[in-house]
Amino acid sequence: MTSRKTLGLTAAFMMGGASIASAQTTLEAGQEVDMVLLPKFLGILVFDQANEGAQEAHAELGNPGELLFVGPTPENSVAGQIEIMTTSATQGQGAVMLSNNAGDQIAPAAMAAQEAGTRVVTWDSPIPGGEGEDVFVAQVDFGSIGVVMADMAHSILGGEGQMAVLSATPDAANQNAWIASMQEALEGDAKYAGIELVDIVYGDDQAEVSYNRALSLVDQYPDLGVIMSPTTVGIQAASKAMQDEGLCDQIKVSGLGLPSEMVSYTMNGCAPEFALWDFRDLGYLTYYTAYGMATGQLTGELGESFTAGRMGDYTIEEDPGRPGSKRILMGPFTVYTAENVEAAAQ
Amino acid sequence: MLGLVDRMSPQTLRILALVIVLGAVILFFAAVVPNYLNGRLFNRVSSSVAIMALIATAQTLVIITRNIDLSVGSTVGFVAFATGSLVTNNPEIGPVILVAYAMALGAMFGAINGVLVAFAKVPSIIVTLGTMALFRSALVEFSDSKSISTANLPEWLISFPNTVLLQWGQLQFRAGFVAAVLVVIVVHIALSRLRAARKLYAIGSNPEAAEMAGIDTRKTVFVAFVLAGALAGLAGFMFLARFGTITVVAGLGFELKSVAAAVVGGVNIFGGSGTVIGALIGAILVDLIDTSLVRWQLVSEFWREAVLGILILLAVAADALLNRRLVAARQAREHRRAEERIAAELAGRAKGQSA
Repeated sequence: MTSRKTLGLTAAFMMGGASIASAQTTLEAGQEVDMVLLPKFLGILVFDQANEGAQEAHAELGNPGELLFVGPTPENSVAGQIEIMTTSATQGQGAVMLSNNAGDQIAPAAMAAQEAGTRVVTWDSPIPGGEGEDVFVAQVDFGSIGVVMADMAHSILGGEGQMAVLSATPDAANQNAWIASMQEALEGDAKYAGIELVDIVYGDDQAEVSYNRALSLVDQYPDLGVIMSPTTVGIQAASKAMQDEGLCDQIKVSGLGLPSEMVSYTMNGCAPEFALWDFRDLGYLTYYTAYGMATGQLTGELGESFTAGRMGDYTIEEDPGRPGSKRILMGPFTVYTAENVEAAAQ
Repeated sequence: MLGLVDRMSPQTLRILALVIVLGAVILFFAAVVPNYLNGRLFNRVSSSVAIMALIATAQTLVIITRNIDLSVGSTVGFVAFATGSLVTNNPEIGPVILVAYAMALGAMFGAINGVLVAFAKVPSIIVTLGTMALFRSALVEFSDSKSISTANLPEWLISFPNTVLLQWGQLQFRAGFVAAVLVVIVVHIALSRLRAARKLYAIGSNPEAAEMAGIDTRKTVFVAFVLAGALAGLAGFMFLARFGTITVVAGLGFELKSVAAAVVGGVNIFGGSGTVIGALIGAILVDLIDTSLVRWQLVSEFWREAVLGILILLAVAADALLNRRLVAARQAREHRRAEERIAAELAGRAKGQSA
């Protein structure tokens, strides 16, 4: 119910935004601009999917320029992102599309890029302080992620029981925002009164750490009913740990996961429900936004609306989680269960 | 009891000191964490340490020769992925071939390090810092952003690490742990009994003297890196079997954890001394502290790393002190006994003269 209310509000806000703006901008195709898609690091499936979406938009808009997919290696993520940001500005790229893994450390490099005429569009993970960022393409409303996770816990626990959170790193900006919004949802709605959040632990987005943390939770809380993991690494490691120790009847796993990695755990009941958004769509929408800005067709003002190809109309609005910053909201979630996970895993 | 201590070699004393520290750590956490001491604790730590034990053993082989291998984590990650991809595409491949493949691949990476360190004479910290990034990039390239998924791996591989070989009350001895301990024991025996293996220690203690003594230092260091690579490859196989889902971050950070395990385990970072049994206990100690800290409510997540660091330092210091005490006490007793013997001899002589 609450999630529907939030979505309704969002829709109303988007329509409102559309009516304020003078007109809906339809982007003119065929203009030449070089752009860079910069993921947190290379070698992760979801970022490749985002690249597929961006390539699709690149072809659709007939941009004769180049779309580069470059990123750092996993052990060099922070320094590598800053370096690529700086290089892109030097090369005179029209826009950098960034999934930020460097916190506010990247802000000076991003501001320098903006001064050099490069537009900075973030996606997936924003620059927390908003400095150096033109606009953030948000996959879903960060507030509603909390509600979706609370709802999944509610349905798995049957309204009553203990939940623990297994997150990524303690300073991951997006995960922390999602957990905070879930805590808010749990406290704010009487529906969740029977759910007790007993602990929050961090698996550093590494399989072995997450696996061990999940088992520590089990040892620490004998009455634990569900482990909620808002990270694709954590959710699968926790599922594997519960399966290996034969605990799936007692403790379920939920959170944000990739259907292709989670399908076996959903089918055998270890992780009956989890959610995620479409990273191809996210890459596609990000490309449209960045293309519009780099070609000067979008100014990036609040209330500006445009049409992003097959995905429809979007409006630039203020980011409720980061006052003073701008965002474009994609949404919605897909919740995966035994009914739809196999099709999505293909 | 004292007599037993006197007959132990310094290395055995060192292990005894470590075991005492290990016991103290367990008692400490048992006092502050409710419901701590049970069979599950053993099962958790033993299963999780199986992989790090192999990597710490690999690291020890290299450290003994006064070198370091920072590329082990990347090697583990690459081998885990490549082995997973091989068996996903050819599910009929059996365990023996798969393990051989993993070890050969690891040995190949080790050989690259070995050539650069032993023959090109580049310092190992520089070489392996480079190959750490190189092997990781190779993994990113090789993986093509795909991940290995548990669903596509054969059943025997996934069930192997958790197969219970022996159950004693609540304590389970699982195949992964038993296999790792067997490997450590084999390496330990080889290091302490084989003439070829003693060369590693000779080179680590004094490279020039070893060269003078006719040891081919280049070949020996090269072999140490190749063996370390093969062990890291085996760890990669175990990593695949245990976690099933492998992405490009697999094994990230293992290089420093393995160095920590070896040093806590009494392996001299300047080469020349240390045992793999010590490294195994070091790995257990680090893992135990890490696992237990999560359950200690007093320590928040942000302080955990710091507290882990402090506890490791304390453990190392306690071990060093205890070890020194044990050695000193033994020397004192030996000294006293020698004095008594001399006194007795003198007394005997005096008696003989007077007779």
